[in-house]
Amino acid sequence: MDHPPNTRPAVGGAEKASQPAVSVRNLRMGYGTRVLLEDASFDVHPGEIVVILGGSGSGKSSLMKSLIGLHPPLAGDVLIRGVSLVRAVAEEKVALQRQLGVMYQSGALFGSLTVLENIRFPLDQFTDLSLEQKNLAARMLLQTLEMKQAETLMPGELSGGMLKRVAIARAMALGCDILLLDEPSAGLDPVTAANLDLTLLTLRKNLGVTLIVVTHELESIFAIGDRAIMLDPISRAIIADDKPTSLRDRSTDARVHQFFNRQPDKQRATEVP
Amino acid sequence: MASVENVTLRLEGRITAHTARSIWRSALDTLESHPDRPILIDTSRLEYVDTVGVAMLFDLSRQWRPAGAGVVFQALPPNFASLLHRYDPAEFAIAVPARRHVGVFEHVGRSTVAQLRLLQELLGFLNLCKRALMRAATHRGTVAWTDVLDVATEVGAHAVPIVLLMGFLMGVIIAFEVGLVARQFGAIIFVVDGVGKAMLRELGALMTAIVLAGRTGAAFAAQIATQRVNEELNAISTFGLDPIEFLVLPRLLATVFVVPLLAVLADVVGLFGGALVMASTFNVSYLQFYSQLLKAVTAQDFVLGIVKAAVFGLTIAAIGCHRGFRTGAGPASVGLSATGAVVASIVMVVVIDGLFAVITT
Repeated sequence: MDHPPNTRPAVGGAEKASQPAVSVRNLRMGYGTRVLLEDASFDVHPGEIVVILGGSGSGKSSLMKSLIGLHPPLAGDVLIRGVSLVRAVAEEKVALQRQLGVMYQSGALFGSLTVLENIRFPLDQFTDLSLEQKNLAARMLLQTLEMKQAETLMPGELSGGMLKRVAIARAMALGCDILLLDEPSAGLDPVTAANLDLTLLTLRKNLGVTLIVVTHELESIFAIGDRAIMLDPISRAIIADDKPTSLRDRSTDARVHQFFNRQPDKQRATEVP
Repeated sequence: MASVENVTLRLEGRITAHTARSIWRSALDTLESHPDRPILIDTSRLEYVDTVGVAMLFDLSRQWRPAGAGVVFQALPPNFASLLHRYDPAEFAIAVPARRHVGVFEHVGRSTVAQLRLLQELLGFLNLCKRALMRAATHRGTVAWTDVLDVATEVGAHAVPIVLLMGFLMGVIIAFEVGLVARQFGAIIFVVDGVGKAMLRELGALMTAIVLAGRTGAAFAAQIATQRVNEELNAISTFGLDPIEFLVLPRLLATVFVVPLLAVLADVVGLFGGALVMASTFNVSYLQFYSQLLKAVTAQDFVLGIVKAAVFGLTIAAIGCHRGFRTGAGPASVGLSATGAVVASIVMVVVIDGLFAVITT
């Protein structure tokens, strides 16, 4: 029986509009006595692309590790769809982490598996799909990331940029609708980086994926970021949380303005001939 | 419900990686069981699909069907339609090549060829080391003696405890095992000959070499392999430095000097261990042991042991460094190089020991 043509059901990663996908509450983060971030709070809403940025040593990657439960914070909480990741134990924590697709900074591919096997790994471990079904899903992901020609290669045969793209495909394999990407376009040529930005935007548009991206590639930030959260290593705080274009054009914070306009330090500006 | 003209397949709810299997199979079964009828896939009640769900929709759309019996989606949301149109069925027509499993004979053949190639490369590497040594002998300042001392400390001084333990235990074990047999024939005193000859000619050098193959050979391989993976070797070359002179020579020299010293230590504690067993178990006093030992062993036995130890040391250092230099890409390659260095060092040490046995008899 045909469905009335004007009716389109909701599809994609539909969430209750009121509940954030990821919440950070009063997060204090660091290693031992070395505190990197004090009292950080922010929400990431479903379908949003939030970029986390900051200077070297500002704690971007460490914050990412706290968001995925790899590094417990010194204080505060991280919630995944309203459920505390920090207070979760054992199976509950595993269940929360399995809702997240993570791309690590250096890729973290398994060296003894081919590219295709790497992408198929989450499907092999956590689903009961047949081999043909898994292979098709994995190959389609490779196609999406423009890496299909590399499906039989080993990670040791890939360049840095190729490694990252395969790693992103693996992060997407289980169909997680919250993706965390650590420096996805670092080391990519401009064309590949632009294609990757387009892919991420397509994922959000067509599948409603929520993205948290750690990067300091300005082009990507402006291309994909709905919001940019800037960390500062000296104040150890979030010093900006707004649209990238707003931060670039209207921020009154000198550090934010310098970053988004890619300006050198004032005392070095005179060195330019 | 099948209409007269087409078959309607309704997909509803959430199709995800965790739920797709049975739905996917069931949908394909429906297509297969109606090969000549058009299939209408109703997605009006589809709530959510993930990447696996998209793969399922694509798989259904690409199934070959006769003319007039194709697959049509109804009420497919535009965002999914645009996703599906990105994929060309022709690009997924070829099956994924399975990993080729190598048979036993092929594996043996390939391994043999690989080992022979390694041996050839090692000989070439030893030739480079020889040239570096000759240059060091004729040009002052070639060798960084501080580096040699650092390596010697790590290879030698830090290995003393384990060499002492191994040597002592070797002496104890030989004295005990041979003594039990010799006692039956009333030839207990000749156990001293056996312990002395065995330790000085063979076991002092051999056991020291085996310990150091695992400790030092692996360390050299891993250090140089890590430097290769991190492109430090490239950096050394672009500075105009010879990596052999810079990295290998100090290791070779340190090991050649240190291993004989460790072998002597092993000999001494091994003989002491033997004497301990003879005194405590077989009533041969320390004085008797010493007296018999002097009659049994010669200076040639001692020198042979020292020469062997030096050759073993050179072998272990050369193989460890060679494996490090030929490391492949990726972090796993460092471990492979270290493991390969240990195995190759032990094998070569035993082979060389056999050659010495043939030559000296």
